[in-house]
Amino acid sequence: MSKVIVIDDEPFILMMIEDKLKKAKIDVVTLKESKNALEIVRKEKPDLIILDWMMPELSGIDLCRQLKSDPELSGIHIFMLTAKGQDADEHMGLQCGVERYITKPFSPKSLLEMVQETIGTNNS
Amino acid sequence: MIKTKIIYKLILVFLFFAVLVVLPLTFTVVKQVDKMIDEEESLYMPDTDTYTKAHKDFAPRLIEHIVPYIFYILVMTLLLSIFFMRKMLISLKELQAGSQAVKEGNMDVNLEIISDDELGDVTKAFNEMTSALKEKTLELQKKDMYINAMLDPLWVVDENNNILDVNPAFERLLGHRRKDVIGASIYDFFDDRNTMIMRRQLEEKREKGISSIYEINIFRKDGSQMPVLISGSPIYAGDEIVGKIGILKDFTEQEELRKALQQAKEYAETIMDSIEDELLVIDREYRIIKANKIAMMNTTENIVGKFCHVISHNSEHPCVEDGHECPVRVVFITGKNWRVTHRHVNQAGEVKYHEIVASPITDSSGNVVSVIELLRDVTERMKHEEEISRKNRELTVLNSISGMLSRSLKPDEILTKILDKTMEMLNMDGGEIFFLEEGKREMTCSYHRGISDEYARMMGRIRLGEDIPGKVALTGQLMTSSDISKDHRVESSLVKHLGIKGFCCIPIKGKERILGVLCLFSFKPHFFTMEEEKIVNSIGEMTGISIENIKLYEKMFELYGQQKKRREEEYAQLLSLSTKLGSAIDLKAIMANVLELIKSFFRADFVWMLVNDPEGNFLLKTAANINVKEGDIIYPKDISSAEGYSIEKKTTIVIPDIRAEERFYLHPEISAMSYHTVAATPMFIGEKSVGVFTLYYLGNKAIKADEIHFLEVIANILAVSLERSDLYIKSIDEKGRSETVLQSVADGIITVNNTGRVISVNKAFEKMSGFPSVKAEGLAVCDMFRYAEDNNRLRSLLAECLDAALSGSQATREAELVTLYGQNIPIQISSNPVYDAEGNVTSAVNLFRDISREKEIDRMKTDIIRSVSHEFRTPLSAIVGMTEMILDGDMEDIKARKYLNTILSEGLRLSSMVSDLLSIARIESGKERLKSGPIVINEMLKTVIESFASIIDRKNAKVELDVGLDEIFTGDEEKLRQVLMNFLDNSLTFSDEGCKINITARKKDDELEISISDNGWGIPEEDMPHLAERFYRGKHGERIKGTGLGLSLCNEIVKMHKGKMGIKSKLGEGTEITITFPYREAT
Repeated sequence: MSKVIVIDDEPFILMMIEDKLKKAKIDVVTLKESKNALEIVRKEKPDLIILDWMMPELSGIDLCRQLKSDPELSGIHIFMLTAKGQDADEHMGLQCGVERYITKPFSPKSLLEMVQETIGTNNS
Repeated sequence: MIKTKIIYKLILVFLFFAVLVVLPLTFTVVKQVDKMIDEEESLYMPDTDTYTKAHKDFAPRLIEHIVPYIFYILVMTLLLSIFFMRKMLISLKELQAGSQAVKEGNMDVNLEIISDDELGDVTKAFNEMTSALKEKTLELQKKDMYINAMLDPLWVVDENNNILDVNPAFERLLGHRRKDVIGASIYDFFDDRNTMIMRRQLEEKREKGISSIYEINIFRKDGSQMPVLISGSPIYAGDEIVGKIGILKDFTEQEELRKALQQAKEYAETIMDSIEDELLVIDREYRIIKANKIAMMNTTENIVGKFCHVISHNSEHPCVEDGHECPVRVVFITGKNWRVTHRHVNQAGEVKYHEIVASPITDSSGNVVSVIELLRDVTERMKHEEEISRKNRELTVLNSISGMLSRSLKPDEILTKILDKTMEMLNMDGGEIFFLEEGKREMTCSYHRGISDEYARMMGRIRLGEDIPGKVALTGQLMTSSDISKDHRVESSLVKHLGIKGFCCIPIKGKERILGVLCLFSFKPHFFTMEEEKIVNSIGEMTGISIENIKLYEKMFELYGQQKKRREEEYAQLLSLSTKLGSAIDLKAIMANVLELIKSFFRADFVWMLVNDPEGNFLLKTAANINVKEGDIIYPKDISSAEGYSIEKKTTIVIPDIRAEERFYLHPEISAMSYHTVAATPMFIGEKSVGVFTLYYLGNKAIKADEIHFLEVIANILAVSLERSDLYIKSIDEKGRSETVLQSVADGIITVNNTGRVISVNKAFEKMSGFPSVKAEGLAVCDMFRYAEDNNRLRSLLAECLDAALSGSQATREAELVTLYGQNIPIQISSNPVYDAEGNVTSAVNLFRDISREKEIDRMKTDIIRSVSHEFRTPLSAIVGMTEMILDGDMEDIKARKYLNTILSEGLRLSSMVSDLLSIARIESGKERLKSGPIVINEMLKTVIESFASIIDRKNAKVELDVGLDEIFTGDEEKLRQVLMNFLDNSLTFSDEGCKINITARKKDDELEISISDNGWGIPEEDMPHLAERFYRGKHGERIKGTGLGLSLCNEIVKMHKGKMGIKSKLGEGTEITITFPYREAT
């Protein structure tokens, strides 16, 4: 079963994504803060991480850089799910190794599709 | 006392010698001789052989017996001598050694006194001598040490000026070896010029036998010259000078210092001389001790050493003028810089205006020793200003004179007023008016000012051609003198008695003859300008005309006295007309009115007034009901028209039927109407024609002689008014109507000429940029902004605009201006060309508009857009995403309900964000106004608390209200309530259950202070600086939903009330928010 870690400081976003992905039989771990994310990622070994950009303590983009610079973790797919909608932001995100840049508000359905596209549909 | 012990010793030695040597020897010799004699006697008897033999042996035997004795004596003597002389020898040896040591320079010899005899004395004396010698040597050595230790070189020369000795410093300084210079002549050390100086010094001083100090250049060993200061003193032997001692002081440093000082002085002088303003240094005695080139150039004599007040004010005393204190005095008293503008009159009587900056020069102890004065010649500017103000004054006087002339028909009133006003205008001390008696060649004084009645009576009659007034009355030529007491052209008893200086005598001219003279005088010299002469001349003319008018009118009245009613009507008409003309300067508005009056009074069908232009044409001045514009050319001013003809004839021309008179040209507009009778009346001021006004009648009209007289009276009045308005307009032009406009505009304006150099800078620009306009004038406009590198962009943009403007098109750019105060102001530059009459660009006007406000609004707009697109996305995610998920169906009801709740709360958050944001935007854009009204603070706070009743209840919070004032505050209650609700909401939200909240309101000084404090979670330190930032949500925001706009909005509202907001907080302890408002101004 594929595993996805969702990190966002907004609880209802976590709830939405968790509900949506769990229905598609995807294992979901939600994190309300990015502080200890790196350790949890190491432990959980997810296939994909869905990140918010703007979070207190450690921003999504910094976390993304850290993940990409760790050879053990650099293979994990990363989606950025953020309110920062400007082209420059997206460009920066993609430069840092983000696979998909999704701006809020978003459709949970298409998010699920993107997730499945990335980590494969057959999870059962 | 002579000691004789050594003699006793010698006697003792002798006695010993006698006892030990002589006695035994004598005894032995006697004994031996006896024996030998016995033997001899024996021999006499015996044979001769034995005798002979005895004789033969006597000598050897004697020797054989005596020698041992002699030997003995010698040994004994030696032993005795050794015994007795031993000590003496030691003493002598010591003495010898001592003297040897002394010879070698060792003075530390102290011989032991061995014997108590003369030798001992000698030794003692020797010891004393050596110690004295030692002392002396030490003294000498010390002296040598002193001399050697002297840093200044020293030489000793004999009476022939040959060197006897020099000290090591001499060797050091000049490089000459001592042994090389001893015996040399001191003149060997100087070149020819210095030798001469030296000789002169030595000879002069030698004669007098006194010390001397002089500066001289001396040769060093290496051939270079060195400046030294020699102080020489003679060396006396008795009364005779045997030599000289000279101390040579190294003067290089002093010389360098002096050179440096000289250089500094020259430098200062160069600077002083290169200053384009006059510069004077003045001491405490007000004496000029220094003046730069410019100051010297502006005067023919050397001003250094003169008193400054003599130079600048031609006055014996320091100046106190027009309330301006003498700047020199002020600086000496205050010790501070002083700036003032003074009017200076030099000895030639020329007036100069100087802007003076006086600064103190202090000595090392801070006393002001002299004053440095920088005088900038602002004469041109001041003259200009003075001219304008004088012109204004003249115009005012002219206006009042002509107004009075036209209003009054009483000669007395007119003349006394004219006298007063003219005196006022020219700043004169007195005056007289003389009138020529009709039919006589004598003038009488009618009015006087500034002189006694007695004097006026005494001088009351002047024959035509006599004295100045008589001459002026005869010739009709104005006469002025700046100082008549020094004017040799005139012989005037009038003047001499009074001691007057400034003087002018103005002819009062009527139309055909001179009526009298107006004399004015002052006790100070007064220079009459051309302008002033012109003005007083025209006053004389106007006065003459008025007097003639009055006389004319009086005559008319006499002649036509019977038609009294008509006359009275005329009189009234005239008065109303002249009152109208006299009271206004701008004639345009009332001229039509006046013409209308004339038209109705003379029952004419059409009246117009034409004026002359410089090209010799008639221009339309005023007319009603004609299709010609004011200022349009009507026709040439010549005799081909009725108007021209009347001017030529200098009298009113009445043409009974203009159509019959073919020689007169008619304007097409006039010609179109079938006018018959025409009466043209010329208007003159003295000899100068001003214009003409013409009455046109449709029918034939007989114009009576008295009517013509009356027309001429009116013409005179009109002429005066026209002239006056003309003068006024001219002066307005001179002052520059544009200047007024320029200075009153709120935008910065820089006008430049066609080469881009600054002509003027207005006040607004000065204020905006801090750049003083006086400094800008004449600069290339782009160079004005060189003071900051960041202005480079502005300069290139300005250059673009200017290029466009100077080539005839308008251009606008936006740039940032760095002001002299270092602020950055966004500005819009727009440059516009200014054309002359031929259509050439002569200059350009550059407008600098401060667009900070626009920029700020712009920034706010993008801010809002960015905020909307950014901050709204998160709550929208809930609404969009969750709705989608619910719509998808497969969801339990409980979950769906939870979703819907989230959607609702996020929606509400979004909505409040929008309304807060809009409020802030409205306030910031300045559109939001306070709806001020009376607020009872206590009541307001109570309702605020009430509105949170349910939350307070749920949280079990304790809210205490403490209002310590009962005054009514003025403010926008709704908005303040919003602020307080926001604060209370925050306190309740960011606190645990059972929290305590205190709300207090106090009057503190003149301020209302409301504070809300809680014992809640407090605000983390890192959040504090960002509290008023829009959308900033602190650490607690993770737990609690909010918009991040609340405090930002509160802050704006408080600011609107001119209040302040302060937040104190400690994490875990609570928060206190205080707002203060000025009590009264809060409207």
